[in-house]
Amino acid sequence: MTAPPGGVQATTLVDDVRLLLDESLDAYRDDPDALPVLRAQRERLDEPLRIALVGRVKAGKSTLLNALVGERLAPTDAGECTRVVTWYRHGAVPRVALHPVDGLRRVLPVRRVDGALRLDLAGTPPEDVERLVVDWPTAGLAAATLLDTPGISSLDVGTSARAWELLDRDELPVADAVVFLTRQMQPEDLDFLARFQEATGGPGVHTTTITVLSRADELGAGRVDALLAAQQVARRMSGDPAVRARSQAVVPVAGLVGLAGRMLRHREFVALRSLAAAERADLEAMLLSADRFCRDDAPVPVSRELRVTLLERLGIFGIRLAVALIRTGVSDAGELGDQLVRRSGLAELQRLLTVHFLRRSAALRAATAVRLVERLLRERPVADAVPLWARVERLQIGTQELVELELLARSRAVDGPIPPEFRAEAERLLGAEGPDPADRLGLAADAPPEELRAAALTALDRWRARALDPLAGRPTVDACADLARSCEAVVATLDAAGSGAPAAQPAP
Amino acid sequence: MATPLELIDRARALAGTGGRADLERRLALVRERVGAASVRVLVVGEPKQGKSQLVNALVGAPVCPVADDVATVVPTVIREGAAPRAVLVHSGATGGAGDGRAAPAAEEPVERTPVPIESLSARTTRGADDDDGRHLVRAEVELPRRFLAGGLELVDTAGVGGIGTGHSLQTVDLLPSAHAVLVVSDASQEYTGPEMAFIRQAVALCPTVVFAVTKTDVHPSWRSIVELDRAHLRRQGIEAPLFPVSASLGILAVQHKDTELHAESGLAPLAEHLRREVLGRAEALRQRSTVHDLRSVAEQLTLSLRAELAALEDPAGNDALVEELTQARARVEELRRRSSRWQQMLGDGVTDLMADIDYDLRDRSRVLIREAEEAIDARDPGPTWAEFTEWLDERLATAVTDSYVWAGQRSEYLAEQVVEQFARDGGVVAPELDIGSPAEALGALVDVASMDDGFLPVRERLLIGLRGSYTGVLMTGLVTSLAGLAVINPLSLAVGVVLGRKAYQDDKAARRQRRQTEAKQIVRRHLDEVVFQVGKQLKDQLRMVQRTLRDLITDTVDELSRTLGDALAAAQRSTKAAAAERTARIRAVRAQLEVLDRFAKEVARLEAAPAALR
Repeated sequence: MTAPPGGVQATTLVDDVRLLLDESLDAYRDDPDALPVLRAQRERLDEPLRIALVGRVKAGKSTLLNALVGERLAPTDAGECTRVVTWYRHGAVPRVALHPVDGLRRVLPVRRVDGALRLDLAGTPPEDVERLVVDWPTAGLAAATLLDTPGISSLDVGTSARAWELLDRDELPVADAVVFLTRQMQPEDLDFLARFQEATGGPGVHTTTITVLSRADELGAGRVDALLAAQQVARRMSGDPAVRARSQAVVPVAGLVGLAGRMLRHREFVALRSLAAAERADLEAMLLSADRFCRDDAPVPVSRELRVTLLERLGIFGIRLAVALIRTGVSDAGELGDQLVRRSGLAELQRLLTVHFLRRSAALRAATAVRLVERLLRERPVADAVPLWARVERLQIGTQELVELELLARSRAVDGPIPPEFRAEAERLLGAEGPDPADRLGLAADAPPEELRAAALTALDRWRARALDPLAGRPTVDACADLARSCEAVVATLDAAGSGAPAAQPAP
Repeated sequence: MATPLELIDRARALAGTGGRADLERRLALVRERVGAASVRVLVVGEPKQGKSQLVNALVGAPVCPVADDVATVVPTVIREGAAPRAVLVHSGATGGAGDGRAAPAAEEPVERTPVPIESLSARTTRGADDDDGRHLVRAEVELPRRFLAGGLELVDTAGVGGIGTGHSLQTVDLLPSAHAVLVVSDASQEYTGPEMAFIRQAVALCPTVVFAVTKTDVHPSWRSIVELDRAHLRRQGIEAPLFPVSASLGILAVQHKDTELHAESGLAPLAEHLRREVLGRAEALRQRSTVHDLRSVAEQLTLSLRAELAALEDPAGNDALVEELTQARARVEELRRRSSRWQQMLGDGVTDLMADIDYDLRDRSRVLIREAEEAIDARDPGPTWAEFTEWLDERLATAVTDSYVWAGQRSEYLAEQVVEQFARDGGVVAPELDIGSPAEALGALVDVASMDDGFLPVRERLLIGLRGSYTGVLMTGLVTSLAGLAVINPLSLAVGVVLGRKAYQDDKAARRQRRQTEAKQIVRRHLDEVVFQVGKQLKDQLRMVQRTLRDLITDTVDELSRTLGDALAAAQRSTKAAAAERTARIRAVRAQLEVLDRFAKEVARLEAAPAALR
C-alpha cells in the first residue's frame, strides 16, 4: 500500500483507473447519457494533460501560449483577438478542425501569415463554434495540450460569455490544470477563477492552478528592472489570502520577451548587437518611446523595417533588456535567447508547470477519472454497483498519490485539516514543490542519500507523534497519519534507490 | 473691460441708491458664488493605468505617489497657490469607520498637518491608517502653476476595483462633486467590460468627461488601441474627446527642456483642452448666469426710472402709462395668485418622488437581504463573517449610490417641469440642485455588528460532552447494577461516550443554527438601519430641493411685483410734482438712467466676450 511514488507505480495507477473505467463502461452500457462521458474520459486517460490558459481579455494568453510552445502559433493582435476556445495539441500533420456547437466538425485550411497561424472561422459566427482544434507537429505540445480561451471582461458580451460558458458545460471538465493570467487582480477575475475551479473538480483545486502575473515587462514602464518589481508585486499578491486559497503560486512572466527569447533569429541578434554598439545617448533617445524607435532617420545602422520587427517581437522592454545583456558580454544568439527566456520568467513558469502538473499528470488524470466515476455512481446508481464502489474506494484510499492530491487540495481551505503552523511543511511533503524525495524533504537536490534518509525518518517520527496528539480533531489525526505514510513512501523510495534498483523516476 | 466681480459690486451700489434691498441681497449671493469658484477635475480609472503619473506630468511636479504596485490609496487634491505647499488631512483620532469610507464630504473633525512637499508622496503611499490610529482622508497640494490658475483643481484618486483595496467606493462617491472627469486607461489594451461600466456611471454622474490613453511610449500599437477605444465610446453613444498621452515623456521633456519631446508626449492638447473646454466652459456657464442676474437687476432698476421719466416729460400721456403699469402689476399679482398651480405640481412631484425613492430603497434592500440569507444558509457564517460583511458593505454602497444618482436625475427633471410651468415669460434660470452625495449617508452608518466565530476551546467541548454522557453512564449503570455489576462498568461507560458524542454533535448543530439566525437578524437590522438613514437623508435633500425651487419662484414674483409697484408710484408721484421740481427731477432721473445704461452695456460686453481666463 505504501509503494514508492514514481514511474513504476504511476503506470500501474493509470492501469487501475483504466480498469475502473472499463468496468464502469460495462456497468453503464445501457445508459446513453453516461456512456459518451465515460468513453471520452477513457480516451483522455491516454492523452497528454490538458492545461487551460484563462484570464482577462488582453491578459496575454495567446502570447504566453506561443511562448510555452516556442512557436508563433496562436494569432495575436493589439485588439481583442481570441474569440473562440482553441485547442492546440500535438499531431503528426498540421491540421485545423472546427467543431460547431451542433453539426459535424469541419477541417479548415491551414494558413500561416508571417509564421503565425491564421485562424479563419470560414464564415461561421463565433457563437456557433464550440471549439477549434489545432494539431501541430511541434515538440512543445508533446507533453501537454494547451487550451487558449477568450478573455473574460470583454466589452464584446459574446466573447466574454463564451469564456463563462466553458464552465457551464455539464460534461466533464475540459481542463486538468489551469494557468490563470492576470495583470492586476480584480475581484471579477477571482470570481471567474473560483467558478472555473468549481467546474473542474472538487473543492480547493488550487493545486491545479498557477497564477501568472502576465505582461510583467509593462509594470515599471519598460525599465530594465521591471521584472524585479514584478516579482515583488507577485509576492504581495501570493500573500493575499483570497489568492492563496485559489492558486498554488504566483509568478511574473513577460510572455513577449520569453517568446522572443525562444525564437530569436540570428538576423535579429545582429541588429540588436549593432544597436548595442551605437552611441549610448543616441540609443537612449531612440528608446524613449516606441514612436521614436521606429522613426525613418536614426543614428544606427539598422533599417526601419528591421526596427519595427524588433519592436513587435521584443517590445520596448525586451529591446532594452537585450541591449543591456549584449553590453554585459552576451556574445551569441543562443546565449541571448536563453538569458531572455530566463529573465522573462518563462523558465520559472515552465519549471512550475513541470513540477506541479506534468510530473504529476498521471495522478491528476487518474483523480479526475475517479471523481467522475464516483459522481456517476452517486447520481445514477446501477444495479451491480458494489464491486465498482469497492474499486473506487480502494483507489481513493489505497493510492498514496491520490490521497496526497486530495489532502493537498483540502489543505488551504478555511477549516483545513492541517494546523496552520505545519501547513507549509505538510504541503512540501505532499509534493507541492516536486515529487522527488529531496523536494519533499526540502533539501538540496544533490543531498547525499544518507542525509535524505535521516531527514525522512525524523519527519516520519514527527508526523507519527502529531497523529497521536490526543487533543487533535479526527480530520487532523487522519491527515497526520496520511503524511506519516508519505514519509514512509519517501523512505521506501530511498531504500529502493539505495539497494541498487533503478531509481524511481517520475513520469514525465 | 470690467471683471464680473467689479460689475457685481457696481450693481450692488446701484441697487443701494435705488433703495432696493431685495436686489442687493440677491447680488450678495451672486458675488459669493462667483468668488468661491473652483473647477474640480477628477482623475479616475482602474489601478495601474498611470493616473498619478499623468497628474504629475500635468502639474510638472512629483506630488502623487507612483510605484510598480498599487500606490495611491487616498485622493490628492492639487490646486493653485502662491507657493508650493502640502497638507495631509486626517480625520479625528477616533475616526469612526476606519474602513476608508470616510470621504471628505462627511462632516467630522479633521486635523490638517502641513508636510514638506518632497515627502508627500512617501507619506500618502504608506496607507490610509497612520501609526497613531489616525485616518488619512486626503492630501492637499498647492502649486504655483499657470496651468492651475483660474480655480482648476485636479484630484488624483485611488484606482477603481482591485483586490485588497477598499478605495473604489471613495472614488465613486467623489464623482457627483466633480465638474469634470478625466478617465485614464493605458494603451496596453482597449476598454474592458468593467471599465466601460465605470465609464457609464461616470458619464451619468458628471456632466463633462474627458478620456486619456496613457503610456503611449511603451506600447507600439497605441494608435490602433486609441481607434478601438474611440469606436467603443461611439458605440455607447458617448461623445467626448480622447487624448493619447505619455506622461513619462512629458516629465522627461520638462527635465531636459526638450520641446520636441513635449510635443510627442501629447500632454499639451490635453492640458489645453482641460483649460479651454473644461475650465472655460464652467467659467462660461457661471458667467452666463452672472450676466443674467446682472441684466435682470439693471432692467428692474431701469423700469421704474423710465416710467417716472416718461410721466415727467409727458404729463398728458401719464394716464395711459399708469393704466399700462397697473395692468402689468395686475398680471404679476395674478401670477402670484395662480401660484397654487405650480405649487401643487411641485408638491405632488416631491411626494411622488419620495414614495418612489422609498420603494426603490426597500426593493434594493429586499434583494440584498435575499442574497445575504442564501449565503448565510449555504455555510456557517461564524468563521467567514469578516468577508461577509465586506461583501455586504460593498453591495450596499453600490445600491445606495445608484439610488442617489436616480434621485438626482428625477429631481432635476421635476425642477425643469415646474419652472416651465411657472413662467414662460418669467425667465427664471433653472436653479442648481444638490442632492448631496451618498458618502454623507454612508458615513453616518454604523458598522455591521460583529459575531461569534463559533470556535470553542477544548475545555468547553469536553464539558459539553461530559454533560451529555452523565445521564448515559448513570442510567445504564443502574440497569446493569441489577445484574450485579458496579454502576461504573465498561458497558455504562461506552453508552456514556456514545451519548456524550451525540450531545456534542447536537450542540454543535444547534450553535451553528443559532449563528445563522443571528446573522440573518443582524443583516436585517443593518439593512433596516441603512434604509432608514439613507431614506431620511434623501428625503431631507428633496425637501431642500422643494424649498429652493419655491423660494426661487416666489422671490422672482416678489421682485417683479415690487419693481412694477415702484414704477407705478413714481409715475403717479410725478403728475403731482411742481414744474420746477420736475425739471430738476428729470435731470436727476436722466443722469441715473445714463449710469444704468452704461452699466447694461458693460454687462452686454461681458456676455459677448468669451469667458475670461483670469
